[in-house]
Amino acid sequence: MSAKRFYLFLLLAAGLFSLLPLGLGAYHMHVMIVGLFYMIMASSWNLVAGYTGQVSFAHAAFAGLGAYTSGILAAKFGLNPWIGVVLGTFTAALTGLAVGVLCLRMGGIYLSLTTLGFSEIFRIIITNEYEITRGTMGLQVPGLVGEYSKASYFFIMMAAAILTSIVTYRLIYSNMGLSFRAVQNDEKAAASLGVNVTRVRVLAFTVSSALAGMAGGLYGHYLLLITPEIPSLDQQFLVLSMTVIGGMGSFVGPIIGAFSLEILSEYIRAYGEYHVLVFGLVALVMARFAPNGIVGLASRHLMKAAAPAEPSPAAVNS
Amino acid sequence: MALLEGLGLSKRFGGVKALDQVTFSVEDGAIVGLIGPNGAGKTTLFNLVAGALRADSGKVVFDGQELTGLTASGVCRRGVARTFQVTRPFAAMTLMENVAVAWVNSPRSEGSGDWHHAARDYLRMVGLENLAHIEARHLNVVQKKRLEIARALATQPRLLLLDEVLGGLNSHEIQQAVDFIRKLRDDLRITIFWIEHVMGAIMGAAEKVIVLDQGQLLTEGPPHEVVRDPRVIQAYLGD
Repeated sequence: MSAKRFYLFLLLAAGLFSLLPLGLGAYHMHVMIVGLFYMIMASSWNLVAGYTGQVSFAHAAFAGLGAYTSGILAAKFGLNPWIGVVLGTFTAALTGLAVGVLCLRMGGIYLSLTTLGFSEIFRIIITNEYEITRGTMGLQVPGLVGEYSKASYFFIMMAAAILTSIVTYRLIYSNMGLSFRAVQNDEKAAASLGVNVTRVRVLAFTVSSALAGMAGGLYGHYLLLITPEIPSLDQQFLVLSMTVIGGMGSFVGPIIGAFSLEILSEYIRAYGEYHVLVFGLVALVMARFAPNGIVGLASRHLMKAAAPAEPSPAAVNS
Repeated sequence: MALLEGLGLSKRFGGVKALDQVTFSVEDGAIVGLIGPNGAGKTTLFNLVAGALRADSGKVVFDGQELTGLTASGVCRRGVARTFQVTRPFAAMTLMENVAVAWVNSPRSEGSGDWHHAARDYLRMVGLENLAHIEARHLNVVQKKRLEIARALATQPRLLLLDEVLGGLNSHEIQQAVDFIRKLRDDLRITIFWIEHVMGAIMGAAEKVIVLDQGQLLTEGPPHEVVRDPRVIQAYLGD
């Protein structure tokens, strides 16, 4: 996708989305706001997992870090929630940087292990530090806008989603993005060509954590009540499923995954919390049989339709 | 003058001595061959030079500076590029992007701007220009080896480590490839250190040959002397 086409597409999508508040009721607006939140989460998680091949289990925890940083500052110290969200974003970025520097040097599964631990420890602290966080009761936080309206939160979350799209697009399609993908394709070959593998991964992880922190901060001030549910592993696996089902390592995959799964989970809400389990199983099956997700399936079918007999480039004599 | 020197390099894998106190030098501007029977330690030696493995003892000096302890990425940035015996293309990236990764990460690229022009030049050099926009996974083995050379050259090295690039070629193609590698050395003024199993080719192209056997330096010298060395003949043919 060329830059011009991307920005045109983004503008078009933003325009269409802007019409939604005219036609949707409060409930459907809520679904869209949550969908946008998950879109930011999945797109930013994909930056690390899809493009540098490292799986973090602390993405929801970073969202929680953003939400609680901003929430506590606003609720306990009366800080302006907007400044809180910015500080929450920075806190998540710095924590991501620290965790990244510690674990990513080692490669392999160390990031996954450490983030899994980090995620649970963070959730337990949040749950138990009742005095500060009000534990599972949830912390009441002020809103971002004077007069509460779904439409204004919708536009705020949409602006954040646009920002996320631009940041991820610019990273992926920059010279740095070439190195991201090289690391994902073959770490050793990338290193042999001068790619600083650790630096690439730390950068991706830091940006990804910052975006999660921002999303979490905004989400908390939208819900007006933040609970340890935000940094839970349930949330983490939901984001993972969205990315894998939509299409890991592609730009639009996580976006498609986030909206379709969020909308779907609203329909099956009546069956309780089993939907995360079901999504996890679907993601597992997809990872085995369609590793490129919905996007991969769709593009394969489109290509087949366009060119029934795919010419084998390997047969081209050079 | 020696561009690359290995001084007493040793490497063990468990109980196996892959390299034992190997000292060698590669002269600036030369084509130097590295030969020896299977398991002699040739690729291990390359891995030590390229920073992919760390030596147990000994050191590597490149252009007067020590490389020992640098990461693979750091060695590459100093001006040493390599190819892999079993090719490692970035399978899901186009040939252009494969080459571009090397170019944008090279400290010798002027500016970090648009890589398209440079990438195409390097692909043209190895004759893969017409496949520039397909993904590397579609290439056959011979094409993948060419891509590895294009990528390595795009790092703009002073020393190029080639690990068996002639495998799978017929005799006519081997001659073409040897001419190509000589031309590379002359046109780009780089030094080439080259592992090869195709003995005829390396004997014709190299100014000096280093022979390894069971992790030890057997001998080194001009090709026509080395092939007559009874120890070399014995190493290859057995007792």
